[in-house]
Amino acid sequence: MNYDNVEILLVEDSTDDALLTMRALKKSGLTNKLHHVIDGAEALDFIFCMGVYASRNIKEYPKLILLDLKMPKVSGIQVLERVKSDPDLKSIPVVMLTSSNESPDIEKCFALGANSYIVKPVDSDNFFKAIKEIGLFWIKLNQPQH
Amino acid sequence: MRAYSYVNLVIADQKILNTAFLENPEYYCSFKDSPKKSNHCCINYPILFKKKHLYLRDMKKNDSDELIIAYKELAFQHQEKENRAAELIIANKELIFQNEEKEHRAAELIIANKELAFQNEEKENRAAELVIANIELAFQNKEKEKRAEELIIANRELKQAEDDIRKLNDELEQKVIERTAQLEAVNKELGSFSYSVSHDLRAPIRAINGYTKILQEDYADKFDADGVKVLQTIIRNSKKMGELIDDLLAFSKLGRKQVTVSAVDMNELVTIVREELLFEDGENIPVFDVKILPPAKGDKSLIKQVWINLISNALKYSRKKNKTTVEIGAYEQNNLIVYYVKDAGAGFDMQYYDKLFGVFQRLHSHEEFDGTGIGLAIVQKIIHRHKGTVWAESALNEGTCFYFSLPKTNPLN
Repeated sequence: MNYDNVEILLVEDSTDDALLTMRALKKSGLTNKLHHVIDGAEALDFIFCMGVYASRNIKEYPKLILLDLKMPKVSGIQVLERVKSDPDLKSIPVVMLTSSNESPDIEKCFALGANSYIVKPVDSDNFFKAIKEIGLFWIKLNQPQH
Repeated sequence: MRAYSYVNLVIADQKILNTAFLENPEYYCSFKDSPKKSNHCCINYPILFKKKHLYLRDMKKNDSDELIIAYKELAFQHQEKENRAAELIIANKELIFQNEEKEHRAAELIIANKELAFQNEEKENRAAELVIANIELAFQNKEKEKRAEELIIANRELKQAEDDIRKLNDELEQKVIERTAQLEAVNKELGSFSYSVSHDLRAPIRAINGYTKILQEDYADKFDADGVKVLQTIIRNSKKMGELIDDLLAFSKLGRKQVTVSAVDMNELVTIVREELLFEDGENIPVFDVKILPPAKGDKSLIKQVWINLISNALKYSRKKNKTTVEIGAYEQNNLIVYYVKDAGAGFDMQYYDKLFGVFQRLHSHEEFDGTGIGLAIVQKIIHRHKGTVWAESALNEGTCFYFSLPKTNPLN
């Protein structure tokens, strides 16, 4: 499988949320190439070209990482920490997605350099609206450093 | 040696007479021991002298030389006697004087003795007093010792009491620490429970809502009108459930939130809340009448929530009126400031007043006015956490006025 030119990396353990997110992006006209990984460990493999992603070109950075916070194995926080502490990767916008505004980690996410923190709305209209706005802002409007 | 002249005899007086007696003792012995000797003697002097004179005249011739010598001898002896007598007189006088002196001295000594006796008495008195005083002192000393012992005991008791109090305090502190730890643990548990509830409950509801939405959008042609209605109902209810979960969590979060008190500019806060209001199409644009609102002591973000909830409520329940008017004001009452939000909306029946501030309690149906019934419960909780009170007055179809009181700010701060 060709993992080059991946513009959006979606890190989401819930297949339902992943499906709804991808649908929302597509409906918003954001047809950029998206890759979905199911937990933090796979996300790190993808980002640092390890395991099944060993052959991936490490110089190909995604334009946006949508990162779920609560995941098995490696949490979103740990992935965020690795990305933001890497000088080559830290400029990639990372949007934290979470089901809860009760998370004890909101402040920690911002301290580590998260670019946004989104509580996924229950209502699908609002959920679609939120995903659409994130996509539009970080893919279309935001000018990356490199 | 028996030649005595008459003149000399006269001068010799009694002593001469004695000598004469020696010459003729037979004569004198006849009256010597008589009780009236001297009278008898005197009465007989002439007889004596006459007899003597005759006797002496007879002897004169033989004894004249001896007489001269004897006379001289006598004169000398007489002189000696006189000297001796004079000396005796002087000595007597001296003795008398000395006696007198001695008497004076004795008198003085008596006085001195008396004085001494008095002084002794005084001293004895004083000594007696001293003895009494000593006894008194000894008694006082004993009392003092007793008192000292009592004080020692009292001190010991005090020390014991102090130790007890300290021990109790330590125990209390330990209890407080334990309770605090327990509370912190419970709080933490509640926090993770809230997180779990909000995360784990919201995810499946979001899926229900999202998938139903997909059905509605992508498979609409597969459903008849009833089917579409069912889909809408699923969406509406799942959305509602999401809101309930969010409200419940917001309410439980309030109890755990730290209240940070500062002076709050209420006019500024109300202006911010008004600016943040969003209006749907066709909705009445409210007419606000905001009076001067004195500042209050409170947690700004929480007090803001109170204004948001009360103003939103006023607008919501005025929606069915042609015009929406909201009056916001304040007045002082007993060191508190009472703020109020008054609308001319639907109002409610005061007989259900006790349900007004309950969690998820509603006085209107969801069809009449939407809402979860958490807004006023949150208001009440916030105001209670500020040691204030919240209450309301209402008349059905005429409007409602909500009041809440907060502590006055100290003008010095």
